Amino acid sequence: MASDIGKIRIRVPQNVKAGDVVRVRCLVIHPMERIERDPQGKVIDKNYNYITRVTATYLGKPVVTFDLTQSVSENPAFSFALKATAPGRVTVTFVDTHGGKYEGSADITFA
Amino acid sequence: MGMNMTRRSMLEALGALGVAAATGTLAVGAPGRAEAQALGAQESVQDALKRVFGGRPMKDGAGMIKLDIAPIAENGAVVPVSVEVNAPMTPASYVKSIWIVADKNRIPIITRATLTPDAGQAFVAANVRLGETTDVRAIVEQSDGTLLVAKREVKVTVGGCGG
Repeated sequence: MASDIGKIRIRVPQNVKAGDVVRVRCLVIHPMERIERDPQGKVIDKNYNYITRVTATYLGKPVVTFDLTQSVSENPAFSFALKATAPGRVTVTFVDTHGGKYEGSADITFA
Repeated sequence: MGMNMTRRSMLEALGALGVAAATGTLAVGAPGRAEAQALGAQESVQDALKRVFGGRPMKDGAGMIKLDIAPIAENGAVVPVSVEVNAPMTPASYVKSIWIVADKNRIPIITRATLTPDAGQAFVAANVRLGETTDVRAIVEQSDGTLLVAKREVKVTVGGCGG
């Protein structure tokens, strides 16, 4: 479904204490076309649309950046760690090869 | 009523697509693709490592790198891989980047994760695509330039690269 593209789910742990290193998991709905081959078995070169860059920031500062190639899966999911120094927002931005930009965020709250 | 709802949601979807297409051609689209192409090319894994790391020596990081991946992947299209490095994450010494490479993929380099000391722990995970049974490598670059590598074989039942 075209309207599902770019839907993002981000999961941050609950009951976080200051100074904890927590793991954040995020997923974007982004299907990828299948590779097609001509009758000779050669790969037909297409302008594939896949997620090429994922940037995660916490309290406005970058934590991790993923640069990806075509070997990434469809609907890619990523996890990363961050040190929870203060309650605040985690923002994850996904960019695909066709210029689509999808952004999602979740808040880290202290117990 | 039902008809209206369908029509509205369809128009919205079409509108969103139009906006994405417009911004794509004007701004981010082309460079994003060019960059991704530079990172991954159709080449052998030896060529890829040579191109990216030059001839820099790689130390065996099996003791420090925890490469977590199922030994048998039934569906090569979605294979979860996680990499955890037992190394400090302080501004003085931290893990700068983690690469995930599948030796036999058409495009061997899958991802490069660039980390900052704010991560607190050198851990990344991603869902990747494996074309066939292959070795998967995690290559870790530390802030002082040291390269470490760990490797694991994954048996793939159904390839995920449109083979």
